Order: sequence, then structure tokens, then C-alpha cells
Amino acid sequence: MSALVALSGVSKSFAGVRVLKDVDFDVRPGEVHALLGENGAGKSTLIKIIAGVHAPDSGTIRVGDEVLKAVTPRDAARGGIATVYQELLLFPELTVAENVFLGHAPRTGLGTLDWQAMRRTARQLLDELDSPDLDVDAKVGTLSVANRQRIEIAKALSQNATMLIMDEPTAALADADVRRLMAVVKRLRNRGVGIVYVSHKLPEIFEIADRVTVLRDGALIGTRPIAEVSEASLVAMMVGREIDHLFPKPEPKIGETILKVEGLTYGSRVRGVSFELRRGEILGLAGLVGAGRTELALTLFGITPATAGTIEIDGRPVAIASPRQARSLGIAYVPEDRGLQGLVKPMTVAENTSMAALGKITRGIFIDFRAEAKRALLSIKQLGIRTRGPAQVVGQLSGGNQQKVVLGKWLEIAPRILIMDEPTRGIDVGAKAEIHALMGRLAQEGLAILMISSELPEVLGMSDRVLVMHGGRLVTTLDRSEANPETVGAAMAGASHSDVAA
Amino acid sequence: MTESTEFRAHRSGPARCVSAYGQEIVIACALVALFVVVSAINPRFLGANNVNTIVSGNAYIAVAAIGMSMIIITGHIDVSVGALIGVLATISGTLAVSGYPVWVAWTLPILIGAAINGVVGALVAYGRLPSIVVTLGMLSILRGGLVFVTGGAWINNLPPSFQLAQARLLGVPVPIWFMLVLTIAAFLWMRNTAFGRSLYAIGGNAEAARAAGIPVERRIVQVFMIHGAFAGIATMLFATQLKIIQSTVPPNLELTIITASVIGGVSILGGTGTVIGSTLAAVLFAAIGSAMIFVNVSAYWLRAVIGLLILVTVLVDMARRNREFRGSQR
Amino acid sequence: MTWRRLLRHETILALLVLLALFVLDRQSDKFFTLDNLFNQGRLMTEVGLVAIVMTFVIITGGIDLSVGSILGMTAILIGVFWKNLGLPLPVAIGLGLVVGTLAGVANGIIITRFRVPPLIATLGTLALYRGIAEGVSQARSVRGYPEWFYVLGQGQLLGVPTQLWIFGIAAVVAAALLGWTTCGRTTYAIGSNEVAARFSGLSVDVTKVAIYAASGLAAAVAAAIFVSRVSTTRSDMGTGIELDAITAVVLGGTSIFGGRGTIVGTLLGLVLIQALKNGLSLAGVKSDGTVVLIGAVLILTILLSNLFHRDQNR
Repeated sequence: MSALVALSGVSKSFAGVRVLKDVDFDVRPGEVHALLGENGAGKSTLIKIIAGVHAPDSGTIRVGDEVLKAVTPRDAARGGIATVYQELLLFPELTVAENVFLGHAPRTGLGTLDWQAMRRTARQLLDELDSPDLDVDAKVGTLSVANRQRIEIAKALSQNATMLIMDEPTAALADADVRRLMAVVKRLRNRGVGIVYVSHKLPEIFEIADRVTVLRDGALIGTRPIAEVSEASLVAMMVGREIDHLFPKPEPKIGETILKVEGLTYGSRVRGVSFELRRGEILGLAGLVGAGRTELALTLFGITPATAGTIEIDGRPVAIASPRQARSLGIAYVPEDRGLQGLVKPMTVAENTSMAALGKITRGIFIDFRAEAKRALLSIKQLGIRTRGPAQVVGQLSGGNQQKVVLGKWLEIAPRILIMDEPTRGIDVGAKAEIHALMGRLAQEGLAILMISSELPEVLGMSDRVLVMHGGRLVTTLDRSEANPETVGAAMAGASHSDVAA
Repeated sequence: MTESTEFRAHRSGPARCVSAYGQEIVIACALVALFVVVSAINPRFLGANNVNTIVSGNAYIAVAAIGMSMIIITGHIDVSVGALIGVLATISGTLAVSGYPVWVAWTLPILIGAAINGVVGALVAYGRLPSIVVTLGMLSILRGGLVFVTGGAWINNLPPSFQLAQARLLGVPVPIWFMLVLTIAAFLWMRNTAFGRSLYAIGGNAEAARAAGIPVERRIVQVFMIHGAFAGIATMLFATQLKIIQSTVPPNLELTIITASVIGGVSILGGTGTVIGSTLAAVLFAAIGSAMIFVNVSAYWLRAVIGLLILVTVLVDMARRNREFRGSQR
Repeated sequence: MTWRRLLRHETILALLVLLALFVLDRQSDKFFTLDNLFNQGRLMTEVGLVAIVMTFVIITGGIDLSVGSILGMTAILIGVFWKNLGLPLPVAIGLGLVVGTLAGVANGIIITRFRVPPLIATLGTLALYRGIAEGVSQARSVRGYPEWFYVLGQGQLLGVPTQLWIFGIAAVVAAALLGWTTCGRTTYAIGSNEVAARFSGLSVDVTKVAIYAASGLAAAVAAAIFVSRVSTTRSDMGTGIELDAITAVVLGGTSIFGGRGTIVGTLLGLVLIQALKNGLSLAGVKSDGTVVLIGAVLILTILLSNLFHRDQNR
């Protein structure tokens, strides 16, 4: 069966960083081809190259019968390729039918829009997608994420897509909706549509995929028929068996419990999580995307205050309703999205460094600029930030150095609990090692660190204990000795401690 | 799942209509209620002459609000339209007294209005300047320019044939015809053409609109030009009401027009609303203004009432959006 | 926001101001007289006070269109408190300032608590506050204030017009606050990246409400000065002042998208505009001509600023 799309030897770099290395990938009609890999593996770039958003640096792409060096959005449309992205491109105030057909609506003889045909066809498409309960006249803004996704799929079908790329389609869905989506995907496959299914979630992949391709660090690890793999083998392909000894971990000096969390809940994103964090400890928090780890952090930090459960610091119960409160309690949060949440890019290193601790550099109500610069210099030296000086604009620094500035900012408040969310994402290997060394040192000095990470080697290398979350719940707690790629990987996929600690 | 070729709608036609046009129905009801209440207090309110004055005399606001609604639906705003109407009125009058045929005096301002606003649209779309600031600047250019050029002089000696607003067609005043025909035509156009729908798309999610292939920048310039043309038509109805043309316009005309749109259901955040709502709202204001006189409430409180209505409408709109947003996050 | 970039815009502006002053001096020997300069200073104060606070507002990425209406409303209320309610004039003025500040607080709450965009929130209050002014005054003006009151707007203190002292102090305080305090740092942070500011524990909402409250207060003080200067109160006072203020702020280098701007820049912008107005009127051009120019200057300024700072815009 000839492929709808075939990529050959495709490579891509962004700003000097190699994101895809010599990858082969093809999609056949009537198959579900799963694309698997951790964050940063290159999945997103690959599908964007197919959809025509990016052009590869080398390699060829065959769309139908044409061999191209790069795909334009028009080539993609002609080739019947449609994409459903994670951030849905819909119009909340318009109806479902109109959203499905916007830009390519059926016309009447007079040239005006044929609403009847639109509504009728939208109804048909939605019925085919097993959504008879979705009202074509409902305003999209009132619908849940699961339903909106279905509309995006209907949109793709309305343009006669022969190939559908779905990017993390179940990331934001509840279990029941996931099942319905699986059914939809199967139907489409049976109709002959070729589907690229990008996901982390192993159970889903085993349920619907015909073939699976694993990427790791931009390289193709392998493409296999689903019958030839198991969960264990996939996890091994995803994370690799070697645990790099890049993590010089000094002997931890673990003290008393500083943070105790019981039954912490936030809506349906964080469900009854309980754990303890001790001084001098690095507690790794692992889990797949959507497991609720960042949501847990945001709840501890006061951005989305808990709806149930208790938090105790030093044995005293506290209520954390805002970042200011969290800060005054000694909790610091180095966020996942440092560009949006961590830094004010147009401002200087000094200004960013002092932002959470302005009280330390003020005399009365006035800022002492010299003190600010001095403290920034100290921070630069201690963290090894490569910059021209405190007066350099942070936006000009590299990713690794920007991350150090964010870390420096929070160290200024002399925190007792440091939450780091994906501390080395998007950072080159050298800076990674430096940040890990810093974390080790901080822990030695008595800081309690909660480290959220999607990189298994990092979790396994740095943590004294590992917590694993899945679907908003804490699935298992593993000691450093018990934690390895199999146990953690299995827990990430949903297995509980009893299944895992063999 | 269903083999039937017959299309099942979830809700009946009338029910769908009500939920889609809620705001418009609210205004219509408010209008009726106002008339009922006020004429109970003072029966002369319902007199044919008064109703005629209310609707016919303010029809030009409704017409201008059609163009304004389109602008707001795309997510922009124009605070210079009042001054534009003033300028176009003077141009119109000047043409009339200078011996040009009356129909030229009526229609040339439409083209000029489109041209001026086309420039504004280009600055907003291609210059990427916020529409509030551009139109704020345009406001003073037009307002100041008008007085500067005319020296504050009024235009007299208008030929009687100029007074279009006083004419009647089949017994109904011409402005009312314009208002009704244009509102319905614009409504149908915005509802049933790709161009009209693209305005809602741009206002709702400009990025998604671009992804769907809509030429966003070009549309913005076009809609500003259309809005300028509607301002020109409104001028036709405004300038021809009296035997003279002043060198100023009614104070804060642009605010009244914007308010008519906003209260008529056109959300200031863009992407929703209809011109039927804005027309009804324009009539409602005129009625409120007149009612206040008949009920012996000082007309000087009218602007405060308008301000309050804007705030209430916007707060309700924001509350609805916040609620929907939170609901869709579950 | 580096010193280098700052200096570039302000220096160009300062040079323009010097150029304008030079041209005006050549054009008319009436220009560089102490009398004229002080008079221009008087005329500039009301817009100036509003513009100084408007700088903060625009740096946070917001806008306040209701300042003119707050001015009018405060002016009317001062007259009402004094004449109709018989309160002593100082009390009436004090009460007026309170009302103006509260009007600003209302703006702030609508914007922060209800998340209404500043544009539409202040457009609505523009109508509401002006409407209150019109309704309360019924288009009647109040006259006959005591002699001592006119010292504020028409008199002198140590040889310099009284209101210029107020303006001077306000400018210095504002510049200090914006450039040297945590309040100022928070203001810039909100305008550059509100999310990161919140995540850093800064009190974003409180700062915003305070800024809009200050905007209301500035308009109220301007009202008192205005009334004192023209010896009467009318409900249409302050109409259009928001345009002048915004133009001065934008001309002074503050980005309409937020995150950048200085008080010094705004002051230079104010001087330039006032100089333009003065020059044109000395040349016999009617005031309406200058209004046209202000509008054109506004559009041109943001156009040029946009072209040069494309990378800065969010």
C-alpha cells in the first residue's frame, strides 16, 4: 500500500540546536501511526514539517506522487493533510456549523452562504464522529474541550482530509472523553484515513495504533508494528537504558520534614495528593504531560489555591491564597514557562534578579540601585551566569543563563522550599550540568527542593525520592534505590506501587 | 449512526432564534415597555408627531451605527465618526450652495467618508496602530480642521430641494426608509455572505481567521471604508434636516453611536452582535431622551443614563464570558 | 529598558524642544518674555497634571479616557458643595478631590476585579461622569468665588504662578516614584509582562487600582485649578483633555503598548505641544488649527515609534 506521505532523511535545526536528525517517517492510508517521545524529542517539529509550517534543512518529503524538498500549507491542503493542534483555532462566539465551514462554506446559487447545507453537512460529520449530542447551532465557546476537539476533526473532514495529524489529542481530556475519541479515531481509520497520532500515553497507543515510531532527542529510535512491542520496550526506547553519570550527587544531608501536604485538591486537576518534603532533600516529581504536576506546583504557590486538603509548613497549617503569601512563607517557584512566567525579558539582569525581593534593596520607599547591582553581581558570580553584567537585558541571554537568572531571583528571598518546574528544559548540556550542580549544592545547604521533570534521566539522577503522578493523583512514591526506568516509567503510565515494586 | 437523510435539528427554529438574538429581543421589549409606561404617564408621548420626531430625527444615528457595529465586530473602534459627519455635512452643504446638483451634494460625501476612513483603516491594519489612538488623533484633526476651515460659520441659503430628510415616500419619512432598508440589507449581508462572516471571524480570533485563509489586513481596511461610507449616508440624513448646517455636530455624537452598538449587543471585545440590535438601541436612546422631557425629568441626565447602560452591558458581557470560559475548562 | 535607548528618544525630543523654542523666539519677540512663559505654564498645568499620571497608566498598558469627565464632574461638584450645600470652600474643594479619587478607584475596580478592558471601562465612565456633571449642574454655571480662591489659578507665589508650584512638585514626586521606587518598578513590570509580575509576587491589582485612583485625583486637582483660573464652573470643562494628555505622553516616548516611558519624556512632550500651540497662536492661527496639529502629531508619533520599535512590541 503506497504511503500518503513519506519523509526521508529529514533534519531540522532551530537557532543552532538540532531538533530532528535524519528522520524517516511515513503514513499509509487506513492506518493509525503513533508518534511517541518525551518533551523535546522532536515530535512537534516533525508534524509541523508535514503540515507545511516549517521547512526541513535537509531530506525529502513525498506527498502523494510528488517529491518535495519542503511542503507549503497549500501542498498540504492539496494532499488532503489536515492537522488538529493542541491549541484549537476556533471562534467561540460562532456556532459549531459555522466553525466547521469557515473559509470554505457551501454557497447557494446567489453566491450567499448556504446555511441549510452547512448545518446539514455538519450534522452528518458530527454523527459520523459519534457525536449526536453535539448541537450544530451551539456556540463553540460554551462547549467543553473534548467537544471542541471533535469540531476541529469535523473541520478537517469537511475539507476531505485523507490524512489527519492529531497533536496530543487527549492531553486535556477526561477518561470518558478519551474513550469516545478512541472510537472516533478507529472509525476514521476504517474509512481509509491515515492518522498520525502524537502522544505520550501508552495505553491509548496500544488501543488504537497499527504502527508506532519512537523519537528521542531528535533521532529516530525505531518504527515497529504494534504487535512487536510492549509497554516496557516502548518505555525503554523512549528514555534509553543509560542513566548518564552527569549528575554529581553529593551525599545528601536530609533533615526534618518542612512541608507536609495532605489530600491536596484543586478541581479535577489535582486529586487528593499527600506527601512530605524534608530539608536537604531533592524530591523528584515525574509523570506524563497532563498528569497534574504543574497544577500541583501552582496550587502550592498560590496561583490556583487549593479547593480541599491541608498544607503544613514546619508543622503549622497554612493557607496559601496568592504568590505573595507563598513567598512570605518561604516558598519559591521557578516556572515551567520561563519566558512568560519567569522573566520580564525587556528588563535587565539586575531588575529581574531583585523582582521577588524588592524589600531587600530598598531604603524607605526608594530603590538602592547600587545595592541592587551589587546583589545581582553576587548572584551572577554564585550561579555562574554568563552575561555582560547586571545591566544587560535578559532577553539577550541564552536559555541556560536565563534560567539561572530566574533561579537567582528566587534565591534572593532565601527560600526554604524551592519548586523547580522543568529546570533544564530547552537548555544545552553544559548549562544543564551546571544547574544540576547548583541544585545539589543548594540541597546540601539545607534547601528543600521539589523538582518537576519530564526527563527520566534527570529524575533518576537527581532525586533522593521520586513521586509519580498520573491523572491528578499521586500514584507511587519510590526511594532512590527503587527508582529505575522500568518502575518509574510504568508508574508514569498509570501502574501503582504494588504492581511496580517487584 | 443515523441512516436517515432527514436532518434533525436539536432545537426548533423559533427556539434557536430566541437564544441567538437574546439581546435584540431585550431591547425591543425595553422599547415597548418604555412607550407603554411613558404614555401612561403622559399620553402625548404616543402622538404621531412625537413618534415621528423621535424615529425620523434620529434615524441617522442608527445608520451610522450600522457601520460602527461592523468596526466593533472586527475588534476595533472609531471615536472620530462624529467629527467625520460634521465635516461631511459641511462639504455637503457647501456643494449645495455652490450650485452643484443636489444629488452630488448628497452622494459625494459618501465617497469622501470612505476615503478618509480608508486611510485610518490602513494605519490600523498595516501600520499596526491601535484603533483607539489613531481615531483619537483623527478626531481632533477633523474637528479642528472643520472649524479652522469654516471659521465657525454656518451655511445658510440651502436650496429647498436639498432637504432630503424632510421628504416623504408613501407617507413615511425618507430617513425611516433609509434606516429600515439599510439595517435589513446590512443584516442579511453580514449573515449570509463570506465577507460578512469574515468580520465576525476576525473579531473572534484573528489568528484562526488568518489560518482559515481570510485576508485579515485587507478586510480591516475594507470595513473601515464601508464604515466611512455609512457615515456619509448618515450625513445625508443629518445635514438635510434643517435649513442650515452648523459648523459643529451634536456633542459626543460618536459616543452615542458607539453606545448604540454596544448596548445593541455588539460586544466591545469583538466577534458578536448584529446591526438590528444597534438600530433598535439607537431608537431606544432617542425614545429615552424624548421620554425624559415628557416625564419632566431633566434631559441633562441623559448622558449619565447612557454611561450607566454601557457599564452595565459590558459588565454583564464580561460576566458571561468569564463564566463560559471557566465552564469550558472542566 | 536600557539607558541607551532611553537617552535616544529623550535627546531627540529635547533637541526638538530647543529647536521649537528657538524658532518661536525668532518669530515673535513676545515669546521669550517672563509674562508669556508664565502664562504658557499656567495653561499647561491642567493637562500636565493629568499627563503625568497618564504616563503611569499607559506604561501599565492601560488607558484612561475618563479624565476629562472626572475633571468636569469635580468642577461641578465643587461648585455645588460650596454654593448649594453651603460648605466652606476649602472643604468643598477637599471633598471634590475625594470624589475625583473615588471615581478613579471605580475605574480601577472595574478593570481589575471585573476584567473589563481599560478602553471600554473608561469609555463608559467617560459618559457616566460627564453625565453626572451635566445632570447635577443642569447646565448652570457657578460664579462668584471668593477672591482668595483665584490666587490658585491666576495668582502668584513668590513670583511664580501658583499652579506651577503644584505642577512642579507633582512632576518631581511622580518622577521619583516612577524611576526610583518599587511602585515604579512594579508599574514597568506590569506593562512589560503582567504574568511574570504576578508570578514574582508583585501586587499587580493593587498597583493598578492605585494608578487609576491617582489619575482621578490628578483630574480633580486640575479641576480646582481650572475653575480658579477661569473664575467659573461649567459642565463641559475638561472635554478633550484626554487627547492632549495622551499625545503628550506618547510624544514623550512612552509606548502605547506599555512597558516603556518616563516622566521627563512626558514633560518634554508637554512643553513641545504647548510651544507649538503658543507659536501658532502668536502667528495668528486660531486655536482650532492647533487642535488639528495635535491630532496629526499623535498619529505620526505612534507610527514612527512603531516602526522603530517593532521588536519591542508584545
